[in-house]
Parts: sequence; C-alpha cells; structure tokens
Amino acid sequence: MTQPTRIGLEPMQIIGNDTPRVDAIERVTGAAKFTRDVKLPGMLYARVLRSPHPHARIVSVDTSEAASLPGVRSVITHEDAQVVWGAGSVSGGRQYNDPTKDATLHRRYIFNNPVRCVGDSVAAVAATDRHIAEQAIALIKVEYEQLPFVLEPEAALEDDAPKIWPEGNLCPDFRNNFEPMTSDVGDVEAGFADADQVFEEKYETGFIHNAQMEPRCSLASWEGEKLTLYTPSQGISNCRHDTAKDLGLEDHQVRVVAQYMGGGFGNKNQNQDSDLVAATLSRRSGAPVMVEYSRREDWLGVHGRWPTVQYYKIGVKDDGQVTAMQMRAYSGMGPYRKNSGGISGMDAYGCPNRLREIYPVYTNRTTSGNFRAPSEPHGFYGIESMMDDIAYKIGMDPVEFTLRNMRRPTDDQPFTNYSLEEVIETGARQFNWQSRRKLTPGSDEGPIKRGAGFSFMMFRAGVGTSSAIVRVDSNEKYTLFVGVTDIGPGAKTTMGMIAAEALAVPLSQVEVVWGDTDRCPYSVGESGSRTTIQTGLAVVQAVEELRSQIADQGMPNGGDVLIGTATPVPTTDGKTRQCFGAHYVEVEVDTRIGTTRILKYTAVHESGRIINPTTARDQIRGATIQGIGQALHEDLLYDSDSGQPLTPGYYRARHLTHQDVPDIDVTFIEVDDGYGPFGAKTAGESGIILAPAAVANAVANATGNRMTSLPITRDKILGAMS
Amino acid sequence: MGDPNNGDDRANSGSSDLPESASTSKSTDSRPLIPDSLAPRAQSRRDFLEGAGAAAVATAAVPTLGMSVAQAAEEPSQANVLETAIQLTVNGQRHNIEVEDRWTLVEVLRDKLDLTGTKIGCNRSECGACTVIMNGKPVYSCSQLAVWADGADVRTVEGLAQNGQLSPVQQAFVDNNGPQCGFCTPGQLMTATALLENNASPDAQTVKEALVGNLCRCSNYNAIVEAVVAAGDQGGVA
Repeated sequence: MTQPTRIGLEPMQIIGNDTPRVDAIERVTGAAKFTRDVKLPGMLYARVLRSPHPHARIVSVDTSEAASLPGVRSVITHEDAQVVWGAGSVSGGRQYNDPTKDATLHRRYIFNNPVRCVGDSVAAVAATDRHIAEQAIALIKVEYEQLPFVLEPEAALEDDAPKIWPEGNLCPDFRNNFEPMTSDVGDVEAGFADADQVFEEKYETGFIHNAQMEPRCSLASWEGEKLTLYTPSQGISNCRHDTAKDLGLEDHQVRVVAQYMGGGFGNKNQNQDSDLVAATLSRRSGAPVMVEYSRREDWLGVHGRWPTVQYYKIGVKDDGQVTAMQMRAYSGMGPYRKNSGGISGMDAYGCPNRLREIYPVYTNRTTSGNFRAPSEPHGFYGIESMMDDIAYKIGMDPVEFTLRNMRRPTDDQPFTNYSLEEVIETGARQFNWQSRRKLTPGSDEGPIKRGAGFSFMMFRAGVGTSSAIVRVDSNEKYTLFVGVTDIGPGAKTTMGMIAAEALAVPLSQVEVVWGDTDRCPYSVGESGSRTTIQTGLAVVQAVEELRSQIADQGMPNGGDVLIGTATPVPTTDGKTRQCFGAHYVEVEVDTRIGTTRILKYTAVHESGRIINPTTARDQIRGATIQGIGQALHEDLLYDSDSGQPLTPGYYRARHLTHQDVPDIDVTFIEVDDGYGPFGAKTAGESGIILAPAAVANAVANATGNRMTSLPITRDKILGAMS
Repeated sequence: MGDPNNGDDRANSGSSDLPESASTSKSTDSRPLIPDSLAPRAQSRRDFLEGAGAAAVATAAVPTLGMSVAQAAEEPSQANVLETAIQLTVNGQRHNIEVEDRWTLVEVLRDKLDLTGTKIGCNRSECGACTVIMNGKPVYSCSQLAVWADGADVRTVEGLAQNGQLSPVQQAFVDNNGPQCGFCTPGQLMTATALLENNASPDAQTVKEALVGNLCRCSNYNAIVEAVVAAGDQGGVA
C-alpha cells in the first residue's frame, strides 16, 4: 500500500493509524445493500418520461393507452401531481433555509410545464415490472409546442433572448431580487491606478456531471400516514425534512434509510425529485414504488457543476505586488436555481482591492448544482491561470508570486492556525519544482514538451452542529448512533474510530448504527466536508457525557444501559478555520496529436489531524483524479442548432479510466489547532479544488500557450500550437 | 472502454443522440377516454395532501403491501411476451429458469436469483459495474441477453468467498481500501479475479490494462490497482 507522507503529529491509540473500513467485508462480498437492492413485497417499478425538447409548452398529455396497459398501476403528469420540489428550486444557494424555499419565486415542480431542458420530467408510470413501465412510458402521447431556447449564459442575458422565466434569465437571489452576486472590498479603481501593469483575460469552464456510479433511484412505501423512503441520500436528516416539507408532512412522518450508496459528490444532498415521484406514485397505487433513472436520465435529469465564463482584470506592480483584482463572471444554472452558481478563488489572495460580480443565469441546458467543492475548482482554475500567466510575464516564479500575494491572517481576521506557507514549500521541495518547471514556457525542443504547474488553496473547515448518541451495556459493548450515510469517504469507520479513541477501547468494541432517521439522531449530511468535523465532535462530546455517567454510577449491570448524547454548538472564537493545500504536476504534451500525459503529481494538504490515513489518502487521490478529468476531458456539449445534449454518459464525456490515471503522491502536514474532533479538518472536497489549475498551468508551462478554456482537449492544444 | 485520449471526436460523435422519448412528441391523435379510475385529475398540491388520508385508508383496506413478490409477478402482464427456458450455473449452483427474451443476464441475477451484489451502473456497456465472469471471461452482464447465457457457467461477487473465507483479491481490497462507495467494487473484483486466474502476478500496468473497462467515479483507481497487485503477490486466486 502506498502510504501518505505524514509530518507533524504522532498517531494516537486508534486515530492516526491506517484502519480498514469497519464494513469492508460487506463492500467486497456483495452483501452491502444499496437502494436498488432493497425489495419489498408487492413493490412496483417506475419510469419517468422526459422532454425531448430544450424548451416547449406541453399542449396536452394523453396517458390513456399507457394507463390501460396490463400491469400499469399509476400514471402521473404535471396535470395531476403538482408537488413543489423545494430543494430543487431554492434561490441564492440557500438550500437549507426554509423561509427562502417558501419565498422562492421560481418554483420547480416534479413535473413542469413548460419543460425547460432536454430531460425535464414530463410524466411517470408505476407498473408491476420495469419493462411494462418502460412500455407504458412509450405509450404516453405528448403534444408539445416548441419554444425558442438559449444555451449560453451571456446570450441568455441579451434583451432579445428567449425568456425561460417571465422575469428573464438572471436568477433571483434569495430575496427574489434580480441582481448579480457582488463582493466589493477596498477600492478596485484606486488599485488599478496604483498598478504598473494591468492584465485582462477571459476563462471558461465546462459542465461536469457528478457521474456517481449509482444512478438516482428511490423506493417509497407508505404505512398509513408514515412514509418510508429508501434513497441514496448524502444527508438523511436533510432529506427527511425536505421530503416532509414538500409533501406537507411533519418530519416524524418520514423515515429515510440510506445505508450504502454509490457515490454522489453533491448531487445526492437533501431530497431529490425521484423521492417525491416515488412517494406520489406509491400513495396513488397503494404499493411500494421504486423509481429508477437510467444513466442518461441521471445525466440530464439530476445535475452537475455549473459551466462558467470568467472575465478577470488584475493590476500588478513591477515587483509582483497585486494591487487590484476584478472579476465579472457568468454561471450557467440550467433552467432551475438548484444551487448558488458561485465562483471562488479570489478570496485566497490578500489584495485589499477586490471586486467580484457573478451572474447566475438560466439556460435551457440541464440543471447545474453542487459537485464536490461547488464553487471552487473552476474558480481556482480561472484565477490561478491568470496569476500564473502574470507571474511568467513579469519574470517571476509562480510559487514566489503566490507567497507574496496569498491571503494571510491579519489582526482583524485571525486564523485558528495557518500553514499555507509550509504546505507550499514542502510541496515545492518534494516535487523538485525548480528543476521541473520551464523558466521559459514551451522551451523544450521538439514536438513532445514537458512542463510543470502549481496551484494552492485554502478552503473552509468551519465547525457546526450535529448530534451523536453512544450507549454502553453491561457487557461493555458500545453502540454509536450517528446519522451518517457513508457515501464513500468512510464516515462510518471514522466515527467509530473517534468514539473508540475517546472511550479508550478497541474499535471492535464499538458498533456503529447509521443511515436511518428512525434510529439515528440528526447529522449534518455528507456534504460540505462537514461530517468528520461536526458529527465527529458530537461523538467526542457524547462519549464525554457517557464517561461522566460511568464515573458517577459505575458500569451498568444486567439489562441496564447508560446513554450519552451530545448536540454541540461549537464556535471558532471569531477565528477563521481553513484547510490548506498545494499541488504540483508535471505533464508531457505531444503537440503533434494534442495529448497530455501526467508524469508526476504531488499533493500536499493540511487537513488538521488525520483520523484514518488510508481513507484520507484516497479522498485526496480520488478528488485529484476527478479534477484531472475536469482539466482535460469532461464536459457536456450541446448542439447549438437543436439544443440537444451530445455527450451525456461516461464514454462521451471521456471519464478517466484505470489507464489514464497517474500515481498521486500525498503528503499530510498534521496540526491540532484545538478545534474539531482531535483537531480534524476537512479533507473530502479539498483535493478536487487544485487539480484543474495545476494541470492547466503545467500545460501552459510545457507548451508556452495558455489554455483559456476547460477541458483542455486535443483540438484546443492542436489549435493553439498551429 | 475506449481510451479517452484516443481522438477528440465528440463533435463528430455521430447521431444526434435523440432521447428515448423523442417519438412520443410526434403523435397527437385522439385516444379513447381514460377509465374513470385512472383519470388524471387536475389536482392542487393541497388537494393531494388532503386526499392523502383517504388513500391511506384504501391502502389499509387492500392488503397490497402484504402481497408477495410471486403474486405480483404472476399477474397477467403483456400478452405475447416471449419466454424461453434456460439453464444457468451460477456460483456452482444449477438453475432452470423461464426468462423473458428481453431480459438481460444482470436482471436474472439480481431479480430472479436475488444476487444483488452485481450492480447496474449504466445498463449500456460503459461502466463495468455489472461485470461477471461467464465461462471464464469477464463480461458486462447488462449487455448479455439472458437467453444468450443458456448453458453458461456464471460467477458473481457472491461466489468469490469460499467457506466464509475471502478470496485473496477480496482480502487485498479490504487491506488496501479498494472500495470507496463500493458500487463499482463487485465489477472490479470480477475482472481482477479473471485477470489473476490467467496471470498470477500482474504488474501495475497489466492490471490497469485489464481493468480499463471498469470505471470508478470515486476515482479510487490507485488503491484498486495496488490491491490487485498485492493479491497477485500473495499467489493470485487459490
């Protein structure tokens, strides 16, 4: 096994030691039950009919033939199943805020009229088997009146653009104001006046589907007034609340079960329309209903990272000091505002004069939403390409340029700790940065050119509320109840390790109960890299509570148990808490055919104390590889004439395979800043933030040509070199 | 799987890739009246919720929830659905099964034999999550009709462990963090098993070439390759 390099802290009794997953055997024997593996007596299977048009009004839907097909139990359309999907249509990225959901002007229903993208849901059928449901879907007659459509965010803001919503195509904010997201710090005009040189460039990034291996599915079953949902949710507590709210139920009337799930990377947060479709069909048909999306439906009917267009203007002194930073940018949100459309990166610089304007825009492409570090990889690609380019143009080493300009703690805004300098310098040393990079980009002789790129980041590692319950019986068996879903990072194991460490017992003495809202307390959800910090801290405090009971009363006897619970509300005492990272990559570009190969990849991260080095290592490696895919391959292309998507699916989006993947060297600089469980910080999202920028910078260093749009496909390299 | 580096040809990717439902938009002719019991009602969200109580009573009165899977399956479904009797040996056990001609092998494994370890990730030969070993070779079971598998010997992830003992490659996946979410894991394990049966100590490059058709969106590729190489070092499949 390739171990990560670790600097800074010694392993504890359990934490910090390489630990196999507590459920590894279930995962390698096929015993792990994913949602589609659940079978209930009498269950029906459902399929969804989707729009073939990018924008159309439904004139009529005729379901009679479908409904009369033997075996069909229920057919629902926009006419008779008008359920608002709150989490699918929230303004301003406030997906956890109920008042915002209630106020949202632009509501997304489970079926919409007009349909606003290819893949928008039109109807659903439940039948006794999948093939009958599919036959029935094909028998539904829909008359569409096709409407003009618009695919590109800047074009969508033109006065004569087709209006996707009555007010136009700029998405409303959470107060339903039609304004861009603006951040204005200092005096940007004064900063430009102070600069010796001003640089401007436009960067673009593509749509990156989450593309988790398990397509979206939901199994709904009612018993009286209680709904049980088996669904692959990254946050069972949030999913329960959202589903109850959308269906007009109380939270306790909904049980969400998500034990094993096949990835999500942000598109299984909260509830999904399939949960509401399954619940509605199940209610109508009086039987459990499993909704299953095909791979193509998942691609077009769920969501992926928003494509962006970013215009930068940067003022710099001749000595390398950045004096002003300005960005105007457009995020293509598809036809519904599911998430923020944010573009981060400028905040990682200390420049006092910064102006940022982001326009989240409706288009008739598929919906955009959260994908692992939702606002970061595309934003860091834009700003760090910009800065890398400036560094070479003014004759500076990009690493030196970064050390000069990156954000640092100030008296006004202290950090819980700050290790970015050590992270960057450690990486530069390990990678041998100075000998791998080309002082003059593109200077290799011949058609095969090598070069090196660098990127850095800081990313939120804040604290917050979550809950845990820990119970001990008279056999000294400990049971930990946590509402995690273990989407892949290994939260179940991590929580068990934290409990075992705090209890000072072997991990085998702790059983973890997870993934069921009727058995587990609130957990924050495996999104935003928050589970380890927030639920982990709740575990620590629940154990403290239990231990104080044991100290008072002794261990329980007979059938007695003792139970410790905690719902901490921690703060960072006004300090900002961040994780840090720096990536270095060497590439080889064959300029004759436009291919890019990765020769060496060094990832250095400070994510606080590492709980389980094995799974933390693979969070970094996996996220980095996803980021390489974003840099070089993935996009969802559309035909501009027809509005049809051209590349939905793994093959057409050209996802990385075993053969495309380089070795990734991972180093953790470990620190205990006194916050979070034993000082743990975020890890899950941090790896993906850095790869697009680092790879793009390496391609520029190798070829001498700056690639201003992602993905950096062969045709772009060939075009640049010709 | 194609090599994503092999040709940047998306602009020429052929068909316009119309959605499955494209044909439904063409027909607008009138249809017979909808049976009353199934007539869609123009219903507000409030109506739906207010009606929910009545529906619950109906649910309680009709013992649908108690109906067995077998009963549901026996319902008359489509006339003229062709069925064929096939014989399959799965993980050493022989089965005689009546299958609809449209069923795929993975459907039979998951739905009829309750071997749900084999996953459906794409159902169209892109991802490899459904890989099983058929007559000694790894195949995508989503893309094999069940009738084609008549007489075949099929092995699935459930058949890897023997007498409660993990196979070497399963144990290596445990030790090397082979699974992240675990959805692609059964397919990766089956391809790796087929590889190790033919090459007891593959190097990393050989493993990558053999497993190229098994995608992992967690992108846990490094750990998977390390696990398979480690399994080989331990002597391959017993």
